[in-house]
Amino acid sequence: MATRTQSTRADHKWGMVIDLDRCTGCQACVIACQSENNIPLNDQSAFLDGRAIEWIRVERYWEGDYPDIKARFLPVLCQHCDNAPCESVCPVYATYHNNEGLNVQVYNRCVGTRFCGNNCPYHARLFNYWEPVWPEDLRNQLNPDVTVRTRGIMEKCTFCIQRIRRSTRGGKQVEDQAFNPACVQACPTDAMTFGDLNNPDSRVSQKWEDERAFRVLEALGTNPSVKYLKQVDAHA
Amino acid sequence: MSNSLIKIAVPVIGLVAALVLAFVAYFFVLAWWSQPPAVLGFGDGPTQPIAFPHTVHVTTAGLDCQFCHRIASTEEAAGVPAVAQCQFCHDFTRITGEESDSPTAETEIAKLIGDPLEGPDPINWVRVHRLPDHVQFVHAPHIQQGFSCSTCHGDIASMEVVEQVRNLKMRDCVDCHRDNEAPTDCTTCHY
Repeated sequence: MATRTQSTRADHKWGMVIDLDRCTGCQACVIACQSENNIPLNDQSAFLDGRAIEWIRVERYWEGDYPDIKARFLPVLCQHCDNAPCESVCPVYATYHNNEGLNVQVYNRCVGTRFCGNNCPYHARLFNYWEPVWPEDLRNQLNPDVTVRTRGIMEKCTFCIQRIRRSTRGGKQVEDQAFNPACVQACPTDAMTFGDLNNPDSRVSQKWEDERAFRVLEALGTNPSVKYLKQVDAHA
Repeated sequence: MSNSLIKIAVPVIGLVAALVLAFVAYFFVLAWWSQPPAVLGFGDGPTQPIAFPHTVHVTTAGLDCQFCHRIASTEEAAGVPAVAQCQFCHDFTRITGEESDSPTAETEIAKLIGDPLEGPDPINWVRVHRLPDHVQFVHAPHIQQGFSCSTCHGDIASMEVVEQVRNLKMRDCVDCHRDNEAPTDCTTCHY
């Protein structure tokens, strides 16, 4: 039986399930995230320096040997761990766990020690080494609901908290699948499912118990809020 | 003689300097914690491109706030009405300012007409209420919970020139959220 951490104080515990058997590695989630969350454009040098900012990235693995070879894709985003290694090392309490099961980054508290990024086993936290800039003709596409992060602070996936707030503010009851983060909304193969794990009827709660489910680096005991589904392929 | 003058002048100048410094310090501390004291025009509202009197529209005409600020109950911003809406009402009611006691009414209302071919330009209203940086304020839930606009904005109905009455700093927000059992999680406002 899979463990599911119940949050005690709030109505919601947000979680995500990603079906790797459906993922084609198309990167639509990456682009959707980029434009929803005001992430600056990464040019080639950013990738070469290892300083590209992507709140969600698609990792590619080869499975098997030629000719029986398969490309496997793993979208990695902040796992919103219930036992998050990043939170305990922040000296200014800029990252903490809120009562909706979200691992939260408060930008205006962050002083940029980068301890959290170094302690994150998923490499999900990214540091702004430069002031973000956009081409002149993209200035007006910035999302007004999301803060533009300045140089010198950490940022990471928020599960699109601006959409969560918009749907639940004022104590509004929200139906399952009434809203989704940008990556889930953009996924063409419906590989990603987002929802409230405290609602046993939600789509994500049902997939959460799937027998193909695993969590990345589960042995570390971080207890992530993101699960992956993958059929073990004996022939690969 | 000069010796005795210095003996008097030095403490007097020192006292004046200390008083000025104390006032400057008081000014900055107050401005930091709350709002600057209403001296030297600091408490006054800004001069707007059209001298729009809320007094006339709210008190005399009896308009509800949300008649013009239409999206306050549903959206982030309360919404500033389009010039077309101003024009529509003034056309409909045939109020041109001629009938007003105010000497400036006619010229101010005439500013709504603008270029006869291109129509009026949007009005560059000067922002009155400023929140601190890095906060995502949304009007909708506050109105939906039944708070009156005047809770934060003061008695706009009696203001000839609109000015900010509450300091709207984080402590102001958090105190009110605590009193009303609203969420005080950081990500309620900071994201």
